[in-house]
Amino acid sequence: MAGKWLPAAELTGSGRPVLQPSEVECSFLSSVDLNCEDNTNFPLFKSGLLILTTHRLLWLPDTTTAAATNSAAAAAAAIPLAAVTHIFTPKKSIKNMFSSPKVRFQVSVTPEGRVAERGSKSMVITLILRGKSDPDAFLGKFSEAWRGRAWESSGSEASSTSNSRQFGSTDGGSSGGVAVRMPVVGVAGILRKEQEMWESTDKSLQEAFQDLNALMSKAKEMVMLAEKMRLKLLSGSNNQTSATNDEEMGSKEEMQDWLLSVGIASPVTKESAGALYHQQLSRQLADFVKIPLEKAGGMISLVDIYCFFNRARGTELISPDDLLQACSLWEKFDVPVMLRKFDSGVRVIQNKSHSDEEVFARIKSLVLEPEALRTGISASDAAMTLGIAPAMAKEHLLAAESKGLLCRDVSPDGFRFYINLFQEINPDDVYFVKGHGIYAAWVSAASASASR
Amino acid sequence: MRRRPGIGGLQTAAAARDQYRLLGENVAKLRTDLMKEQLVTFRSQLEEFARKHKNDIRKNPAFRSQFHEMCAKVGVDPLASNKGFWAELLGIGDFYYELGVQIVDICLVTRPHNGGLIKLEELCKLLGQRRKSAREAVSEDDCLRAISKLKVLGSGFEVISVGKSKLIRSVPTELNKDHNEILELAQSQGFVTVEEVQRRLSWSSGRATDALEILLDEGLAMIDDGHRDGRRRYWFPCVSSASSYVGADTL
Repeated sequence: MAGKWLPAAELTGSGRPVLQPSEVECSFLSSVDLNCEDNTNFPLFKSGLLILTTHRLLWLPDTTTAAATNSAAAAAAAIPLAAVTHIFTPKKSIKNMFSSPKVRFQVSVTPEGRVAERGSKSMVITLILRGKSDPDAFLGKFSEAWRGRAWESSGSEASSTSNSRQFGSTDGGSSGGVAVRMPVVGVAGILRKEQEMWESTDKSLQEAFQDLNALMSKAKEMVMLAEKMRLKLLSGSNNQTSATNDEEMGSKEEMQDWLLSVGIASPVTKESAGALYHQQLSRQLADFVKIPLEKAGGMISLVDIYCFFNRARGTELISPDDLLQACSLWEKFDVPVMLRKFDSGVRVIQNKSHSDEEVFARIKSLVLEPEALRTGISASDAAMTLGIAPAMAKEHLLAAESKGLLCRDVSPDGFRFYINLFQEINPDDVYFVKGHGIYAAWVSAASASASR
Repeated sequence: MRRRPGIGGLQTAAAARDQYRLLGENVAKLRTDLMKEQLVTFRSQLEEFARKHKNDIRKNPAFRSQFHEMCAKVGVDPLASNKGFWAELLGIGDFYYELGVQIVDICLVTRPHNGGLIKLEELCKLLGQRRKSAREAVSEDDCLRAISKLKVLGSGFEVISVGKSKLIRSVPTELNKDHNEILELAQSQGFVTVEEVQRRLSWSSGRATDALEILLDEGLAMIDDGHRDGRRRYWFPCVSSASSYVGADTL
């Protein structure tokens, strides 16, 4: 129903919005109603999470209270900031003091009434902020993001980048400049071009790092320059391996290391998310751990994730306590990962699919082998067959024992585990062996060894 | 260039080609040198900005992501807080958290070589290289303090003492694959010694001792100090079937 009026917003598995390239979240507000008075058919979006990004206003239904995630994902909506034509400044009056603060803005719509960029008609949308939030601060961020017009630069960037790259200079390559320049002819021309290029790079570097504001305005250019340098240096390493000294190798290695750590473009911060910080952090973390978890084989220690996650966040560090809190919130959401604590005090993150049931099934097939029926298995046997550390295997075996799957035998050989036969033995007739089943298999395995 | 006939012509052409090639090489070399120089400037400037304007950068989310991208691309660690008065005194502020992240990072990077066990001195040295821009050196005490902040995340990451030196273990016992290798090694004769593990798997003595001690604690190994050569043997009754080591004992 919402899709008719507002563009839909995509969500990740853990209920976080899927952001566009270079889109960054600026502010989070909880319990926000989204309403439109001009259009009577416009559905009321009631009490949801509002996220302001540099590109869009996202409205997500509140998933913590109730509702299946399927319908929630369908209802998430987005208003591109590009479609916003005017933001009204709220009138201060006594009447407004007693009602929830409202933020009103005008958007352009198509003749059918759908919110879109460059629509011919317009309508007014009202945000009603019911949560405990600062409407003025939000309004400030809203108009800042709107005036920043970040969506424009990311859209047109592709074409301008390719142009300036072809000219090999970072000064934007204005067409007038090329005409005035000396024609590039012969070796001297190439050399001169080369020189000009370096001079311009030097100059732009100097300019960009004068102060923070200069760097901010030149940020895009500098990112491109950094990318160019990285590519050249990395490609250079393949061609001329002989002429590399130690220091150079070091710097290259450093760069390759760092490649791994580019990650979360829009980290959830205390400043942007406010009271929703831990909840949003938890969702972002759930999305993030998928890849490292896969690489580590379904289980990874919490300390490792702490490092990966913070590296991906850049300067927006989170403390170990925040991480722990984010992990413990997973129980409340529908996410495919879980936090697990071992008796030894080690905390790990594991896939839910990597769960105990699956491991028990493998252990069971292991102890049912004829050799194992006779002599049992030890933690190290299980470790080698399951491809996990012995301490882990022991943990699994003990868990399987407590479920009644295994029985232990303590001997000079150490702990050995056997399949639990007691379930199959009839207490009234202990000598009765059924024609099939585990007991029968055990009897035949044991008698085979006795006769040997 | 006009083509001239005869051997003389060929020789001139070859000479000219050589000259071009030489020039080309020079230009290429000059280019990489210049590039390196600019990269050094770029890096040092970024490092300086990361330190000086940390709070301003954090305030602006859009710029922050661009700044991170720059840092990542030219290989600058954006974590460069100074220790500062409050961090030193009360242990608050980002300094020790940053250090913690960098320490875990180093442990992760060196894990393929050392199996997740690193000497405190070595860690400090590597940390110093990472933080070369920061003015103050990082002491071993700072490292220990940063590591203690990670305690909340479970006991997998810890400082252990082997002999006189301190080691940092970053792999929890539950996820340690070293033990599997020792078990495999022990399969042939039922026991191993520290020296044997060191030699056969080319591990450091700390790594071998630590792994064997853990296996002992876990109840998987038994020690035997009574052998003639005076070396402690770690027996693994579980890996070899009973008959094989009874046979070996009677020999």
